[in-house]
Amino acid sequence: MVKIIFLSLWLIGILDAHESQVQQFENRCIVCHTSQQIPSELIYRRYLMKYSTKEAMATAILRYLKKPQKKLSIMPPQFFLKFPIKSNLGLDEMTLKKNIEIYLDYFDVKKKLTIPQ
Amino acid sequence: MQDIDLLQSEKKSLLRFLLIYLGSTFLLFSLLSWIFYTSQKQNLLDKQRDGLKIYAQELEHTLRLLHMSYAKTLQYPKHNKIDSAIYDKNRKYIFGTGQNSILLDNNHRMLADNMLYDLSEVKPYYLGAAYMLLSVKIDEVPILELQKQILWFILGTGIFFILLGLFLGKLFIAPMRESMERMNAFIQDTTHELNTPISTILTNIEMLETFGKYEKSNELKRIEIASKTLSRIYDDLTYLNLNHNYHRHIESVNVSFFIEERMVYFSTMAESKCLEVRLDIEPNVMLNVDKNDITRLVDNLFSNAIKYNKPKGLLYIKLSKTMLTVKDTGIGIEKKDLASILQRFKRANKSEGGFGIGLDIVNQVVNSYGFVLNIDSAWKEGTEVRVQW
Repeated sequence: MVKIIFLSLWLIGILDAHESQVQQFENRCIVCHTSQQIPSELIYRRYLMKYSTKEAMATAILRYLKKPQKKLSIMPPQFFLKFPIKSNLGLDEMTLKKNIEIYLDYFDVKKKLTIPQ
Repeated sequence: MQDIDLLQSEKKSLLRFLLIYLGSTFLLFSLLSWIFYTSQKQNLLDKQRDGLKIYAQELEHTLRLLHMSYAKTLQYPKHNKIDSAIYDKNRKYIFGTGQNSILLDNNHRMLADNMLYDLSEVKPYYLGAAYMLLSVKIDEVPILELQKQILWFILGTGIFFILLGLFLGKLFIAPMRESMERMNAFIQDTTHELNTPISTILTNIEMLETFGKYEKSNELKRIEIASKTLSRIYDDLTYLNLNHNYHRHIESVNVSFFIEERMVYFSTMAESKCLEVRLDIEPNVMLNVDKNDITRLVDNLFSNAIKYNKPKGLLYIKLSKTMLTVKDTGIGIEKKDLASILQRFKRANKSEGGFGIGLDIVNQVVNSYGFVLNIDSAWKEGTEVRVQW
């Protein structure tokens, strides 16, 4: 019984942590991106169309975020006329990876796909 | 006379011919039908697969539209017959309409469990999809229709070739039949013409004996033997001619008495070869048979045992309630000939005269009464024939 209680608490903790991370992502990233009209989902879809798998997308995004350069980005040159390249965020790799994962999960198409009844 | 035998041989030849002819035709047609069926089935499946390919193009187009859409939900297209699924570059399942997500392997064209599959690549990766797998239940109706058509075709051609085979077989056998019929007619006429002179000779010999004008000289004995031999041949030929066509008069025959009587008839022949005749006859052995049948059976066995015996040999005849045994110490029959010795016109040894019809007649009598015939023989030692009833 004690084990079940601990397990439940641990799961609630994990879910809470994840929810708080998603909330943090929304508050820290999405709000700002939306206000600046940065098309986050469009960028996600572009990466998705090029790399197909989550792992390949994560690697490509990480490579860009570590060294933001036009040549490392998959966005067209015109894109940078409207949205200039931001400087390095100065975050460590672990944090970047975590944020990328949240980003990919947030826009994941699988969650949107439905079968019409 | 030999109509029955001719028909049997005809049937045998026809059967062999038909077996080879129809067997090879059937094999050839089966092979051709199988090749035709396989190619036609493949065509039908290809047609169904074409339907999948067309749907694959539609699905790819829809995926592109969905990829461009930023709506809250993306409605994945659903087909009422075709199931589809999309997979990422690592062949990991993304989404699909099927009940279960099918794991991909390297076979781009799969055919299993009555399902038709089509795997195609997607580029660029709309919604992350690198592969599209479409599956549809195979429509069995045209395939069953094809099978039915082929079966009807095989049946139709089979009947045609059987009829053709019968016609050809009869055509090939016709000359043989004609010559056999001519031979039959000749034998029939000959036997008919022989009857009167043989009867005259035998009657006159009996008259000479009866009235005792002449002592039974060796010359007269030889005439008697020759006439009796001729008479027996006539009887055998008449029996074969009439067999299956005359009405048998079944009566209770005292076989013990009958055999002794026939031995008297054959005594002159046996004496001429100086044979030692040993009779071991159980008295009053009764059998329900036609007298002509038992005469032909006994006469042919005795005649053979005397004819093929060595001079001064032994002729042993034993009759019991259940069996007649005729044993001689003659030339015997070679092992290789034993199996075919009962066939008509078969003569294992041609040193003596005859047509080779004796044992055939014995066999016919034995078969018509359900008796059992056994022949044991040792080459140059003798033969033992046993008839069990």
